[in-house]
Amino acid sequence: MTSERPVVTPAVVLEVAELARLHVPEDELSRWAGQLSRIVGYIDQLAAIPEQAFGGSPAAPATPVRPDVPRPGDGDRALAANAPRRLHGYGVVPRVVGAGS
Amino acid sequence: MSAVPGVIETAAAVSSGRRTAVAEVEAALARIAEGDGRFGAFLEVTGDLALEEARAVDARVAAGERLPLAGVAVAMKDNMWVAGRRTTCASRILEGFQPPGDSTVAARLRRAGAVFVGRANMDEFAMGSSTENSASHVTRNPWDVSRVPGGSSGGSAAAVAAGFVAGAFGSDTGGSIRQPAACCGVVGFKPTYGRVSRYGLVAFASSLDQIGPLTRSVGDAARLYRVVAGFDPLDSTTVDRETGDPEGALGRGVAGMRIGFLEEAEGEGLDPEVAANLEAARRIFRDAGAEVTRVSVPRTTVAIAIYYVVASAEASSNLARFDGVRYGPRASDADLRALYVESRTRGFGPEVKRRILLGTFALASGYYEAYYGRAMRVRHLLSDDFDRAFARTDAIVCPSIPAPAFRVGEKTDDPLTMYLSDVFTVPASLAGLPAISVPSGLTASGLPLGIQVLGPRFGEETVFAAARALEAAADFPDAIPAVAG
Repeated sequence: MTSERPVVTPAVVLEVAELARLHVPEDELSRWAGQLSRIVGYIDQLAAIPEQAFGGSPAAPATPVRPDVPRPGDGDRALAANAPRRLHGYGVVPRVVGAGS
Repeated sequence: MSAVPGVIETAAAVSSGRRTAVAEVEAALARIAEGDGRFGAFLEVTGDLALEEARAVDARVAAGERLPLAGVAVAMKDNMWVAGRRTTCASRILEGFQPPGDSTVAARLRRAGAVFVGRANMDEFAMGSSTENSASHVTRNPWDVSRVPGGSSGGSAAAVAAGFVAGAFGSDTGGSIRQPAACCGVVGFKPTYGRVSRYGLVAFASSLDQIGPLTRSVGDAARLYRVVAGFDPLDSTTVDRETGDPEGALGRGVAGMRIGFLEEAEGEGLDPEVAANLEAARRIFRDAGAEVTRVSVPRTTVAIAIYYVVASAEASSNLARFDGVRYGPRASDADLRALYVESRTRGFGPEVKRRILLGTFALASGYYEAYYGRAMRVRHLLSDDFDRAFARTDAIVCPSIPAPAFRVGEKTDDPLTMYLSDVFTVPASLAGLPAISVPSGLTASGLPLGIQVLGPRFGEETVFAAARALEAAADFPDAIPAVAG
């Protein structure tokens, strides 16, 4: 498990930023890669814990449930009012279908 | 500052008619207006709303209502909804966000007669240990304005330390209540996971986030905690279980209580002044009749590594909702992708981006098992370690912070070193345990230190009893000399 640890290269930063919908400028890639590598290097100490330490898989705690009763979701309009662009009470986004690419 | 009444004292005075809520709130607003220019504890002071609410409290008292927090002015960290105020998480991406109403915590405080005087500064989205990550400004430590107040609830801690308010609320994901409390010489309490509803708390890491009070005394913390604790149908992680009697537990003392000092927190790496302060706590508990031992919780040594995977992974998921469509400023309308990317890139600050990138990395295909999967498995081991420890001891004690508050700017270029500020607070968060930081002494240069008491899950009464015993005997001043003078 420890033999082929990925290093956070600038290419990895770019790939992860793409997944996270963030833009990392070209000239900042190596700084981000350096910082994240140092953090991930620290985290890698978890890999040193021997497999036998884990034993059986722990029982997951029960998820509490509540009665499935409809109730007014008052507040949805107030929440929607926070959208930066609205039309007829709905949030507006750039055209998606038929927008070309 | 010592003349500023505490939470319990204020509630008693207002309930009995000796003082009015309006007078209390006016006094708090005057203290803030006079002093907060130096510290920057608040993002916004909502004086008019507070006075209006104070008048309503006075009317309720006059009508015979018994209110446990009558006229108590509180500061709320800016990640909890309070009706009529914005909630921005000190982030540009939530600029101007108007919540649809009160968070459950705010609603319970309001019902109990508390009044909200303002939104306290914080690290953006509660990510940080210094309050330097606020998109607005850096909050200063009232004990020494060249130093940070800790974080992420640094505004809440500074507001209490400076004597602006007797009580404030913060959220604690890896120590964000306890660490700033220790840095600012106040009490900070994180309840058991599931005790306090997070409805209306902007989520950071949902398996860790808990809301709790910051106060000048352990008793005041117990009062505030009692008011906000308890099952809430609006947060399915709250536990339907009696809160117990945290205030009643304060006088129990520690005679016969088994108090285990955490072995992993001691050793040659420990700051000498922190070590001496820990020794003083050991003597206090022993003199008060506790059965003081040492206890080992081995995986606390890897807690920071677990935490930065789990918390960042959950943050990357929780913060995906901030995309320029539903909240905050929109940076582009060119196409949907540009809308997302530009709004997020401009809206989030560097530390939030770092955590999102780290979390996205830990959850990405190819890395998931090695990072997120592994961290979750080790987290279970840590939790089991605590269960074993609590079979042999009633409470666990360790320092709250590895060193006193550091200087503004000292760690901003070194995220990993900043993360290690939370080394003693993260373990209780990962295991969901109740934990309190009690101001326990000053360094030679006059900076506060804190001692942390951890209890088993739902062991709040034990935690408060031990914390009160420590507070009663600890050598800690009533006021900050510079602020009081």
